[in-house]
Amino acid sequence: MNAKLLTGMGLTLALCACATAPQPNAALQSAHVAVQTAEMDPNVGKYAALDLEAAKKDLAIADEAALHHRDAAIAQPAYMAAQNARLAQMHATAKADDARVAAGQAQRDQIMLASRNAEVQNAKMATSAALGQRDQANEAAARLQAEVDQLKATPTPRGLVLTLGDVLFDTGRAELNPGAGRKLDQLAQFLGEHKDRRVQIDGFTDSVGTDSYNEDLSHRRANAVKSALMVRGVDASRIGTEGYGKAYPVANNNDSGGRQLNRRVEVVIGPDNGTPIAPRG
Amino acid sequence: MHMGISIVTKGAVASAAIVLGLAGCASTPIPNEKLAVAKASVQRAEQSGAPEFAPVEMAAARDKLARAEKAAAARETVPATLLAEQANVDARLAEATAQQQRSRKAATEFDASMQALRSESMRSTQSTQ
Repeated sequence: MNAKLLTGMGLTLALCACATAPQPNAALQSAHVAVQTAEMDPNVGKYAALDLEAAKKDLAIADEAALHHRDAAIAQPAYMAAQNARLAQMHATAKADDARVAAGQAQRDQIMLASRNAEVQNAKMATSAALGQRDQANEAAARLQAEVDQLKATPTPRGLVLTLGDVLFDTGRAELNPGAGRKLDQLAQFLGEHKDRRVQIDGFTDSVGTDSYNEDLSHRRANAVKSALMVRGVDASRIGTEGYGKAYPVANNNDSGGRQLNRRVEVVIGPDNGTPIAPRG
Repeated sequence: MHMGISIVTKGAVASAAIVLGLAGCASTPIPNEKLAVAKASVQRAEQSGAPEFAPVEMAAARDKLARAEKAAAARETVPATLLAEQANVDARLAEATAQQQRSRKAATEFDASMQALRSESMRSTQSTQ
């Protein structure tokens, strides 16, 4: 095609040279360049073959006019050839871009689908992880509740309160009855499993006897419980003790039943962050 | 820009040829059909974003159409025909240039979105592993 083109140009130039006024036609030359450029664009052959055909037809007419020295008839077909050649390139470039985008759409859809699947997968994993954590938390809470239930502890603002009744002590004595052992075993086991919790042991008496006696007795009873817990492996640093004597009665001191309820040791179990337990008051 | 200048230059050359060489063949009929085709092409180009994307080609087409109509009104049928043909091809080129720039812009944006999508999808795939 190029060889043919060059031959054509050579012929044109040769014939012009023979003429009296040899003037190579600028419009015709630039039309040849435009058509040649379009021909070399692979997209033109693929997407704008008809535009290129029109350009070549115009160029042939212009060449024909030049061949026969009809100089006035060269410019129009040469101009049309050049413009049609440019048109071919514009159409071809646009169609090539459009085709590339169209082909990419499918690929993009695929990537988006894969990406969405991955997101769904991630979300599923996150959900199951969260569920797992929640299950663990629920389980821990349920276990703690079971343990608290076993201790028969009562939740209060100061913490879980476990009341060890008078029956664990002989009257006027601070030594624990052998029967206290089972309750203290449970408490020591609970504290062994929850090493981040502190414990406060408060002793109380009824109103019988002097204040100093009662206060001393309440102290000794609290300390007896502390010793019993230490024997069962609870570190002394986690245990606080206090004796309040006849203060804070839980029942009427006018009858023996009420007095028995007032003679007691209260064990307060602190929160699981190790916070010390506030004193009674 | 280079193309724009060369079009103007060639337009001038062609117009000069029309005026010098071909004016005065009064026997040719008025090219009403070619004028109508050129007018339609110019209008289509105007509406396709050519004034924005191909202002040089667009201006050439408008100018030639106006001159073709003027020549037709003066019964200068040959220049009217040639100018109408040129106005038509200029308008089509303006429209095609606008279309080409729109397609190129869309393709560039598409490439960018693909790039973003690829890196994003790579991230989400990695976080799955």
